[in-house]
Amino acid sequence: MSDHVRNESGQADAAQAPVADQDARRHIGHAVPRMEDLRLLRGDGRYVDDDQPSRMLEMAVARCPFPHARIVSIDVSEALQLPGVRHILRPEDVARDAKPLTVLRPVPGAPALPYYALAQGRALHEGQPVVSVAASTRAIAEDAIELIHIEYEPLPCITDTARAIEPGAPVLHPDVLASNFLAENVDQAGQAHQKLQEADIVLRQRFRLNRVTPLPMETRGILASWRSGARMLTVRMSTQTPHLVRKQLAEILGIEESCIEVSASDVGGGFGMKLGVYPEDVLAALHAMATRQPVKWIEDRLEHFRAATHGRESLHDYQIGATKDGRIVSMVDDYVTDLGGWNSSFGSSQLSSVTFTGPYKVRDAYVRRRVAITNKTPIGAYRGYGQPEVNFAREVLMDRLARKLGIDPLELRRRNMLRPQDLPWTTPSGAVYDSGDYPLSLDMAARAIGYEAHRAEAGGMRADGRLAGIGFSAFVERTGYASARFLMKRGSQFGAHESLVLRANRSGFIDIYTGVSSIGQSAETAMAQVCADVLGVDMDIVRVHSGDTASSPLNTGAFASRTMIAAAGAIQEAGAALRGKILRIAAHALECAAQELMLDGRMVRHRGEPGRGMPLSQVFNRAIVGQGIPADESPGLEAVAHYEPPEAAFAFGTAAAKVLVDPATGEFHIENFVLVHDCGTVINPMLVEGQVRGALMQGFGAALGEELLYDEQTGQMLNGTMMDYFAPTAADAPPVTLLHTEIPSPATPFGVRGVGEVGTIAPAAALTNAVCDALAGFGIELSALPITPEAVWRAMHPAGPE
Amino acid sequence: MLKETNVVEIQVNINGADVAEAAPVRMHAADFLRRKCGLTGVHIGCEHGVCGMCTILVDGEAVKSCLMLAVQLDDCAVRTVESLEEDGGLNALQKAFREHHGLQCGFCTPGFLMLATHLKDSGRRYTLAQLREEMSGVMCRCTGYEGPLRAVAQYLGDQMIAEA
Repeated sequence: MSDHVRNESGQADAAQAPVADQDARRHIGHAVPRMEDLRLLRGDGRYVDDDQPSRMLEMAVARCPFPHARIVSIDVSEALQLPGVRHILRPEDVARDAKPLTVLRPVPGAPALPYYALAQGRALHEGQPVVSVAASTRAIAEDAIELIHIEYEPLPCITDTARAIEPGAPVLHPDVLASNFLAENVDQAGQAHQKLQEADIVLRQRFRLNRVTPLPMETRGILASWRSGARMLTVRMSTQTPHLVRKQLAEILGIEESCIEVSASDVGGGFGMKLGVYPEDVLAALHAMATRQPVKWIEDRLEHFRAATHGRESLHDYQIGATKDGRIVSMVDDYVTDLGGWNSSFGSSQLSSVTFTGPYKVRDAYVRRRVAITNKTPIGAYRGYGQPEVNFAREVLMDRLARKLGIDPLELRRRNMLRPQDLPWTTPSGAVYDSGDYPLSLDMAARAIGYEAHRAEAGGMRADGRLAGIGFSAFVERTGYASARFLMKRGSQFGAHESLVLRANRSGFIDIYTGVSSIGQSAETAMAQVCADVLGVDMDIVRVHSGDTASSPLNTGAFASRTMIAAAGAIQEAGAALRGKILRIAAHALECAAQELMLDGRMVRHRGEPGRGMPLSQVFNRAIVGQGIPADESPGLEAVAHYEPPEAAFAFGTAAAKVLVDPATGEFHIENFVLVHDCGTVINPMLVEGQVRGALMQGFGAALGEELLYDEQTGQMLNGTMMDYFAPTAADAPPVTLLHTEIPSPATPFGVRGVGEVGTIAPAAALTNAVCDALAGFGIELSALPITPEAVWRAMHPAGPE
Repeated sequence: MLKETNVVEIQVNINGADVAEAAPVRMHAADFLRRKCGLTGVHIGCEHGVCGMCTILVDGEAVKSCLMLAVQLDDCAVRTVESLEEDGGLNALQKAFREHHGLQCGFCTPGFLMLATHLKDSGRRYTLAQLREEMSGVMCRCTGYEGPLRAVAQYLGDQMIAEA
């Protein structure tokens, strides 16, 4: 374990710190242990399946076994006779009692698809729900599914993205669309195509990104109860976005939000996959409303592979035009993202368009995104969401350009990279990179991987015949959202802000109520750290209550690496209000001026007289009961804040991979993987390291082995179990060296940038470039993921085995 | 078809206490521990013996409780994550996980903790490479495994970690 974390340059300017007192950063910047751990380590988390109310029913779902089929008939009579079966929903029940699923982040320009919770007449992907059953146990509900007779007429299916968009391909949504393109969006600046024509050299390649599954260890789940007389639907759910689920359920079920409470406390991983409402959530609610009994549905893993959203699958036709001396004059990316059969809550990735030019100074560029329908599980958000995809295409093509021009790939990147003085920089697609030192991250990665020494030993062959190669991958990452103005243009159904409540209680403690659910990102700890420093109190008197719509102000949720970017500002605003009132009430009690007082630990103290002060609990009690407070002060001690950062913050960095390739077999070994990244001011270095390492492993998985495979003829999923789909285990983890720079972002409070997704972006291109570097003598190129030994061997032997 | 009413009374020692409980014959051990015994720290992730979320100790061996029927627990001693705390606080293994950020969403954590408890009880020595192999029985999608590996290595201590 040679791994280490080092901070190489740039410290947040403490003098600028918007916190209570001069040396008040007692928590921000420190590796504070997590608050979440105490319950989770004892098996005392509360995941959705841990609740088991009395009279609870459990739901099971009959799913279409074909990728595309007409539903000829459904007979549930036998199932209804089975003891323990309480209620069955058929497609016509759903069409009568609910509306189609709504979309939170629509594809701009896309028409709405009639995505009902149960397939209406035709199912468009394997695993689409057709009938659902609520019974006294899950086992009985599954028995009932066996007794339901559904006659299907399989229809011709299209699972291949490229085939779906060929002219003449059967149209999968003929009532709404004229082809299998759902929508097309273009962003551009300058004269990209003309510059390509004028360029000394143009490289063009189609890159194929594999379809993968985010695969959180906890599958989806929901527990819904309906009290008819009270008109109240209570939902516990494994979701990243309780408030957005509430909004969608109101729309789909046709009831007011006032009738819905949604809570998510512990969520066993989300990674973008647990955003918004799925068909099964609507079904559980409908069963609960019909039976007036609590209804639980826990997705099993085989359902998860077929019915929870997938990620990444896309084709990028990327072109780079350059001069002979390696100046990039134009970048063009014409890409197609596979949406699957339906538009899920978060639809298809849009960030490929935002970051397609990466960290490079390119003025003439064009990007076109087209969204294609296929007979596969809907695609949704997945950690990085568009950024790992486009980064793979661009960075692999950069290395190819370097080889063609005979320029060192490091030097080619350096020549074209935006320098610190170029920032802020408005990209051709209109994003604003706020600040950073991109070339520094490149140089640090090259040093850490030993690039100079590697270049010196030409050939790089080891005693055992294996060939060494080094590859780079530079990136930027948008974290948070670029304001509500940006979101409005795209039709997004949520804001760029975060909202929360700080409330004092009579024990002298402070409660934070937030709609951000606890998905493993450690928001409870990070929020408590910021709150403690903003107020100047001990961290252990702050408790974060997360993910309950009934107690938290309407907010956006835990996604897009945005929580701390926006929440830190909300804590700062609410904290300032709370702190002011605490000091005024304490000043009244202590008969001095508020300016003479400060918060310290669990006390309000006089700055000049150390013995003079009072415990927070006494101040809080005065405020809460309204007794002993200034005459012009209102009772109560809580503050709500809604904070929207002015811009998104762009994280950035460079990855470098060193691999050893066996040219006889294509087998390769990762000797070291370096990631240099910058997430601005670090609130908790331990949490940052954890986020980066975790996302890196997902990046390695998608780069090296994970892929959902479909039979070419039948369109059936071929590897929809954990025995057949290979997510990395502890034994697969390569050695990783993490380095970071810490350049505060001017766009956010405290200078933070998001960090949740950054690790997914760079690995695929760095590893691919390293393998191609090692095999430079064979002249191979790799353009599709995953990069398996077989893929490497096939690239070396295009004619196949002799 | 097997019926829910087809049940067998079983006797199990669970976390030190003798329990007599009716188990449907087709119910797996993880469901039994969660639903009949309220031990919701036993998590279920795949129900086909890969992910390791449901790892518990049965007569001292680390097993995936989704691959066992509840009736097979008859006359066995079972340990779950709920048994680990000491004096109302975290034990040394749990503390090591907290110190090394060995958990994020926490869903895999009970599996890792029970696996590591078994490794310690075994008294065997492991190289770090062997430790990685042993820990491959529990998957984690959050941490990238570095935190759990450091925590378990610290818990096993120098006397149990052999040079490679």
